[in-house]
Amino acid sequence: MLAILKLIFSNFKFIALSLIIFSSMMIILLIISEFIFLEPYFVTHIPSGSELGFILITILSALSALVIPMNVFRITNLKNSKQKMSGSIFGSVMGSVAGACSCGPIGFAVISTFGSVGATATAFLTNYEIPIRIIAIIILVITYFTTIKSLKSECKINF
Amino acid sequence: MNKKGVIFGILVISIIAVIATSMSSSPNETFDVDMTRTHGSISTAMGSPILGDPLAPITIVEFGDYQCHQCYNWFHDTKPMITRDYIETGKANLVFVDFAFLGRDSPKAAQATYCADDQNMYWEYHNSLYTFQESKIDNGWASSERLKSFAFNLNLDMTLFDECLDSEKYSKRVQYNSQQARDNGVRGTPGFFIVGPDGQEQLGGAQPFSVFKRILDSMI
Repeated sequence: MLAILKLIFSNFKFIALSLIIFSSMMIILLIISEFIFLEPYFVTHIPSGSELGFILITILSALSALVIPMNVFRITNLKNSKQKMSGSIFGSVMGSVAGACSCGPIGFAVISTFGSVGATATAFLTNYEIPIRIIAIIILVITYFTTIKSLKSECKINF
Repeated sequence: MNKKGVIFGILVISIIAVIATSMSSSPNETFDVDMTRTHGSISTAMGSPILGDPLAPITIVEFGDYQCHQCYNWFHDTKPMITRDYIETGKANLVFVDFAFLGRDSPKAAQATYCADDQNMYWEYHNSLYTFQESKIDNGWASSERLKSFAFNLNLDMTLFDECLDSEKYSKRVQYNSQQARDNGVRGTPGFFIVGPDGQEQLGGAQPFSVFKRILDSMI
């Protein structure tokens, strides 16, 4: 497993990709979930009772930063099908969307645009934010292990 | 002739009864508000009573939804410190204006606060809603029955409260407040305007006390 990670992340391009994914996902999700405020001043704030949400965002961002570059490596170096990216992308998007639609600007925009359908959707995503994020993390973990498994066979690495 | 007289009498009584009933159940009931009350660019006429000294130099206008979890966070994390340092000291006051958009129970919860206000218990009821808020939207915690039970726990006159809530007496008031939020560019809850002698500052989200302190201190 470590040998495969070393193989992928020995290339600076994949380290850079991983860092970009982690930092951009983390910052966007922290802003959306109101852990970071940019206006009128830059300020970070974790309200009491929101610690679990913060931890899940960190895990989600870290897993996405690990799994997406691994799948990009498969596509670019091993010329695999793009469909094999779906697990990592789906997990990342699903985890990100879960917390986006609460009482903040995104939720308001969705409700304003789609009316009662939007309200039902945002209520669902808000009510089940934590379980959805946990499911997204599980999907990313499964994707990580299946990617490692297939890379082992595709790269013909002997352990 | 007598028969005709009886029928005519019944008809007249029926018409009077119908008119009287329709007038008494009209949703356009009157209530006392100061329609000229504004804070900065916001008409707060239909909002909450003022919390704190009405003559305080600064007014914090909060736009909120009773089902919004970030409003809950702000209510519990930031508001107590603002109350202690600025409202109770007479440096600022606070007005809550409904922006009830999150779920089907949101407008009803907002209307219930004004039914409590009819009995001079607006802030007590407001505090109850944010104390007993559940994290799930529209899961029944703010249903009519639960709203009535909150009123019961505050020892409100339940005949008056039930009549007010069931008749949707304050439906238009809540709609007016939500429109104020939209007109002033509020795009989520909680949203704040801090209105001082020299202007106003807009804040979005459940920002921490340090941000409010910085703005409020700069206005005093």
